[in-house]
Amino acid sequence: MLIKAFLALFTTLLLSGPALAAELNVLATLPWIGSIAKDIGGDRVSVTVLVKPNQDPHHIEARPSMISAARKADIVMFNGLDLEIGYLPVIIESSRNPKIQPGNPGYLDCSRFVEAIEIDFKADRSQGDVHPLGNPHYHLSTSRMGKVGRGIAEALSALDSGNRALYMANLATFEKKLAERRKEWDGRLKGKNYVAFHRFFEYLAADLGFRITGYIEQRPGIPPSSGHMAGLVASMSREEPNALITTSYHGGKAADFLSKKTGVKTIVLPHEVGSREGIDDWFDLVDRIVHDLSGE
Amino acid sequence: MKYLLSFLLIALFAFPTHADDIETRIKNLEEALKSKEQDALSSKGVFGGSALMNPNISLILDTLFYSSNLSPSELEEREISGYMHEEFETKKGFNLESAELFFFAPVDPYFNLYVTIPVTEEEVELEEAYFVTTSLPAGFQLKGGKFKSGFGRLNSQHRHNWDFADPPLPYSAFLGGEGLIEKGVQVTYLPALPFYTELGFEALQGENEVLFREDAATGPRAYAAFAKASLDLDDKSTLLFGPSVAFGKTDTGTIEEDTRFEGDSTLWGLELTYKWTFSDKKAFKLQAEYLFRDQDGDFTDADENVSNLEREQDGYYVQAVYQVDRWRLGARYDGLGLFKDKYVLDGQSEDFRTPWRATAAIEYNPSEFTRLRLQYNHDRSLGGGETNREVFLQAVFGIGAHAAHKF
Repeated sequence: MLIKAFLALFTTLLLSGPALAAELNVLATLPWIGSIAKDIGGDRVSVTVLVKPNQDPHHIEARPSMISAARKADIVMFNGLDLEIGYLPVIIESSRNPKIQPGNPGYLDCSRFVEAIEIDFKADRSQGDVHPLGNPHYHLSTSRMGKVGRGIAEALSALDSGNRALYMANLATFEKKLAERRKEWDGRLKGKNYVAFHRFFEYLAADLGFRITGYIEQRPGIPPSSGHMAGLVASMSREEPNALITTSYHGGKAADFLSKKTGVKTIVLPHEVGSREGIDDWFDLVDRIVHDLSGE
Repeated sequence: MKYLLSFLLIALFAFPTHADDIETRIKNLEEALKSKEQDALSSKGVFGGSALMNPNISLILDTLFYSSNLSPSELEEREISGYMHEEFETKKGFNLESAELFFFAPVDPYFNLYVTIPVTEEEVELEEAYFVTTSLPAGFQLKGGKFKSGFGRLNSQHRHNWDFADPPLPYSAFLGGEGLIEKGVQVTYLPALPFYTELGFEALQGENEVLFREDAATGPRAYAAFAKASLDLDDKSTLLFGPSVAFGKTDTGTIEEDTRFEGDSTLWGLELTYKWTFSDKKAFKLQAEYLFRDQDGDFTDADENVSNLEREQDGYYVQAVYQVDRWRLGARYDGLGLFKDKYVLDGQSEDFRTPWRATAAIEYNPSEFTRLRLQYNHDRSLGGGETNREVFLQAVFGIGAHAAHKF
């Protein structure tokens, strides 16, 4: 009798245990992906982010602790377009985790859901550290983020079909919030011109109607030559862009130099969720960038 | 393609349109062409498939200019007395180390394949060719073929990824210049712990010519095991450490010229790496290894006299690299016979000088794919007691696919 009761209890625990307690372990490479995974997954997911908000996403080194995190993941979500090529493949292979290997539902390349810009299959490395698959910095694209959210919702539903309704409800909330915010953001930067350090804000520019008229970085990943800097001083003095924009890890000195020479102010924009206080999710990030750019 | 174009053209002109529609139509046409262009990139070949089905390929060119105060004949005869004798292949002046081909791709959902083929002026070598499983459960992974053993720290890294142009003394003395690259299988296990721990075991043919035997007729003759653990001290600094061991049957002629040694060898290793990335542009790395080799067997000297030889010898290196943006500064100190320096031939203990070396290097890396290095060695490891003051000017270039870096 006692044994029977014990067995019954055990069976109940065994069956109900995973459904109740086990959250999906989501491994996101970048903070913004983690932010959207939390929006869509709610309390059904536990999110681990590999890259710290203050790090330059172009120069990440695989740490063994990242492999440990990947070992426990149910799904890995990443930016794609070769942004993580220097570290993610080795983490995924070393994780010894079949769930997150390419081709499995736990392997989610978020760039699959967006149309990249600046695709250049003819590019070679004489042009610097180029990305032939397209500009990888679509994370600031207000027009594409809805599709990324939907892709993540579908991926989570595929892994955890019992909670599909919940993920879809969260997606609907996400999409509604996105539509509302887009109304606030649209138009505020129309017609403005900026000079940027790296090709980082192109998607946002296309979505919000501002222009980037020049780059400090001639070729991605290669510091600018003095001749190029002199040319920039001349063109910026002539064209008087609204500001020079960069991120905390890109070209502080070069930007300061140009600001001093031309009188064009430099705006250091937050590049990721969590990179500044008060930027707790992706919406905060775009809010703050639009706010800083519009100079309000 | 042709059909599509004519179809589109017909579609464009066959139907009467308003003037303002033309622009939209041209745009559509351009877009259609663009998407065709994209299709062309993945066009089918004779055997089907597409260009994307090729493996990832990269080529690494490793070139060297070498200079030393010693004469070419002194360099050629150099040996670390009591430790090992191996031919020194680097010539004074210009050297072409190798052009190394590297192929990698998934085979199917179960295996990834890696092949490294260094091509030198004399030969084409199959340095590595191995599969790695991707779908074993419970944190296990199997590697097989010919691969760099997981023993120690430097051993499993490609030479062109090293922080210095040459191997440290304990590697040269106990494993030879190439390191432990063997045919065999490796099983590794990554338990689901809160911190990184990797356990590995290898069964190897045992063909390392210094530690085991060249061209082994039977096998496996050697085994290796290792454990590695890693802790993140904070967001910016990481520690990796662990012990290794490799043991097996030895039959080698590398102790001295024209001699033979047959017996058993065990090589123990301890490794420690500390990396501190204090900003996006600045980083510091400290790396050290300690190796201890225990050997017992029959020594046949040049006159065919056979006697018992017992060797218990150790070696170490400590190296630090400080990186600022595209510049890297390195320093290394390596030596042999730190705690153990036992060489007993036929009951007679022999003493050799204690070899050591000090190294400084400066690197400039214009991009991730080019490395220019100037290195100076103050080398006091030579058997004759002379000091070898040597300078390396090394240039390494990589083209092709971008392989991910291990920690």
